[in-house]
Amino acid sequence: MRVAFTKSTLSNGLDVIVHEDHRVPIVAVNIWYHVGSANEVRGRTGLAHLFEHLMFEGSEHQPRSFFEPLQEAGGSLNGSTSADRTNYWEVVPKDAAARALWMEADRMGWLLPALSDARFATQRDVVLNERRQSYENRPYGLAQFVLLETIFPDDHPYHWPTIGYPDDLRAATADDARAFFARCYHPGNASLCIGGDIDASAALDLAARLFSDIPPGPSVPRVEAPRPIARPRRLVMEDRVELPRLYLAWPSPALFAPADAELDLVADLLANGRTSRLYERLTHESRVASELAASQGSRDLDGVFQIVASAAPGHTLDEIETAIARELRVLARDGPTAGELERGRAQAEASFILRLQTLGGFGGCTDQLNAYNTYRGEPDFFDLDLQRYLDTTGDALRASSGEWLDPDRAVALSVVPVGRRDLALAGSNDVSQT
Amino acid sequence: MTTDRFVLPAIGVSAMPVTFPAIARDRLDNGLQVWSISQTTVPVASALLVIMRGAVDDPADRPGLAGMTADLVDEAAGPYDAIQLADAFARLGTRLAVDVGSDVTTLGFTAVAHHFRAALQLLGEVVIRPRLAAADLARVRDLRLSRLRQLSSVPGAAADRVFYQTIFGDLPYAHGVLGTTRSLTAATLDEVRAWHARHIQPVDATLVVAGNLTRDEIVRAAGTALGGWRTGPDASTGRHPPEAMTIVPPSTLLVVRPGAPQSELRVGHTAPSRHTSAYYRLLTLNALLGGQFLSRLNTVLRERKGLTYGVHTAFDFRRAAGAFVCETSVQANGTAQAIHDVLVEYESVRADGAIGADELARAKASLTRGYVRHFEIADQLVRACAQLVIYDLDDDTFDRFVASIEAVNATDVVAAARSFIHPDRSTIVVVGDPDECQKPIEALGRSPTVVTPEF
Repeated sequence: MRVAFTKSTLSNGLDVIVHEDHRVPIVAVNIWYHVGSANEVRGRTGLAHLFEHLMFEGSEHQPRSFFEPLQEAGGSLNGSTSADRTNYWEVVPKDAAARALWMEADRMGWLLPALSDARFATQRDVVLNERRQSYENRPYGLAQFVLLETIFPDDHPYHWPTIGYPDDLRAATADDARAFFARCYHPGNASLCIGGDIDASAALDLAARLFSDIPPGPSVPRVEAPRPIARPRRLVMEDRVELPRLYLAWPSPALFAPADAELDLVADLLANGRTSRLYERLTHESRVASELAASQGSRDLDGVFQIVASAAPGHTLDEIETAIARELRVLARDGPTAGELERGRAQAEASFILRLQTLGGFGGCTDQLNAYNTYRGEPDFFDLDLQRYLDTTGDALRASSGEWLDPDRAVALSVVPVGRRDLALAGSNDVSQT
Repeated sequence: MTTDRFVLPAIGVSAMPVTFPAIARDRLDNGLQVWSISQTTVPVASALLVIMRGAVDDPADRPGLAGMTADLVDEAAGPYDAIQLADAFARLGTRLAVDVGSDVTTLGFTAVAHHFRAALQLLGEVVIRPRLAAADLARVRDLRLSRLRQLSSVPGAAADRVFYQTIFGDLPYAHGVLGTTRSLTAATLDEVRAWHARHIQPVDATLVVAGNLTRDEIVRAAGTALGGWRTGPDASTGRHPPEAMTIVPPSTLLVVRPGAPQSELRVGHTAPSRHTSAYYRLLTLNALLGGQFLSRLNTVLRERKGLTYGVHTAFDFRRAAGAFVCETSVQANGTAQAIHDVLVEYESVRADGAIGADELARAKASLTRGYVRHFEIADQLVRACAQLVIYDLDDDTFDRFVASIEAVNATDVVAAARSFIHPDRSTIVVVGDPDECQKPIEALGRSPTVVTPEF
């Protein structure tokens, strides 16, 4: 699979990747800063994401708003923050490519003069509302936080959620944001990708002209992390939900680490879609589970593997847990069938091809080039990434399941309707008492 | 460094023209329309079968029957049981997406081009030879009942249910595609089979394909996969709800969600169908009122007051009617303030001279200049074609979009707002904690009635 690109590094350390694609007269601009909530400290959680909001509020030479000049140019734009990185993108008609790059350069180099205390305060309120909407007021929305807090020790940077704790957000000041910008937002900690209907050398010249005079910043040290806690726990929390739901979670390999791809395939084989083993047993045959999912959530420092299942009305989480444990033991003993392996490879291959159709936005071609460049130092990692899935064996899947997914060592979280702790797995402790 | 270093780069003088790819039209002997768009750049193909039946065709006492029937067709078909069928798609690196809307049902997939024929063949099995078996219905029904139960605790789902039921009243658009627990529990296998026999017919369907295939390859594959689909003796002519835009008397409805940190809001009323001559004026109006990030509403509620993560408005244009609605979720103690602000902004676009030249130009530019972004990948092309099918639009609809928006002027937009945005006749739905929001809403002079949506 060839994705043509050129990469160069400006003297201030900014990586510039250009991917030409003349199918449609649009240009995608995508920039990754290698900073996320893992770079935060206790007491100021949520700052990386709150900062992302401030990046849309204007910069010195376009102080009114980041949106206006791009919206009126027909652009679409967004950003997102994870534990490991913050990304920003614009997709614009090609005549606005220079404008989109100029806007990115202005906020990389000249953000702070436009950052007022009032803007900071408003965006903090917006983020508190984002937290309410996406987590607090959403059924099961707080479950992920409990799993992270249980699997990662207090001083592990994945212990806290990227959205942050409300008290920390309220305690944060505009000066915290200014210091965060000085520490993490500079060319040496960023990767810029330009894709689409633009000549590669013209794109590079433009990037050099717009970004070269931004001074390099201090290097951002790699985050140190203690080991996750691989200790079985049974926890229960109440929520405004109808059906009890079970989360089983384990610490798992980091992104691109050995067994990462294998566990990704195991997640599909176990619980994603109608071809999965748990769907067949728990939803198709015995009908004890009404919703099922699994994921190998691998990140820069560590991963979390989880299986999620909601009880069908009239069935219990204990039934579900027993059945999942049985399937995990069978998989660790016998491995996948040849057919399962073949299907997993076919799906991996197709998903690599299909996601490259889109130039910009989250998960598009430019985003993917930047992801590889940020995590691997090399944009051209498509083939090696896919090869991890194509080269693996049934034995490797079997061994990975056995090593990482011991049913007796899972963190098991029951989320139950308010007042119905009796519906939790037997022997569960209250989350708030841990 | 040149002296213009800190000057915002200019953009082109006008929006880029959009030329939608040519659509080749064929018709199989059974009446199925086949639309092909051949593209040679990416080795991928998207297929979408559009069947002109949807939730509006549910029997009056069986809301959700169309949705449950569509859910059942890919459970088992031809020689495959449910799991074998999913496995067969997965081995081709794709999956079948079945979607029921209010007006139409679609079945589609995107696959690597060399798997297109095999995947279309599977789609054909699902369309022509679904087993519609009792055991599968029992399972699908249980899953849908669980889904309904889960949705009853999702604030947005509860708000939508109350809102659309209220504004559409007697129209078949009033009920959701999922239907209700009562209806799905009562539905029988015979009803499912009868609905299928009446409504899933080639004469009322169009297959749209875009991808790295020739017209001939597409038509031949369609003939092999779907040529054996026959119109049955019980075929219906389809239900076309009357074009209607009655606006019900205004009310404020409260769904109680104890302890909710936010209130989920819907504010709006019925609106014209996709066929309205005001279409382009309404798109422009919506962009500046609540459709884009820097709309009046998002600027006030999010960027100025920080009351919400986001707010937007939309005209939901359907075949025979439409809705205009503002959707947002606001912090609980800001509920009444948000309702007040939404109504103020609705009123603000109706006054003489309400819309300045700059604001209008920016809204129009965001629509016209951004239009080219919507036709990048095969899936977008087949979905665009589906719009032509569903709303019976001309082939040059997309090519004319830019000019149609450019022709809109401020007077037109204000006139459209007066005709189609009615703050004093809006239905207001709140899903939230009464302890936080009830009294402040009463203070607005809109005493809320507590309702419980039927799921």
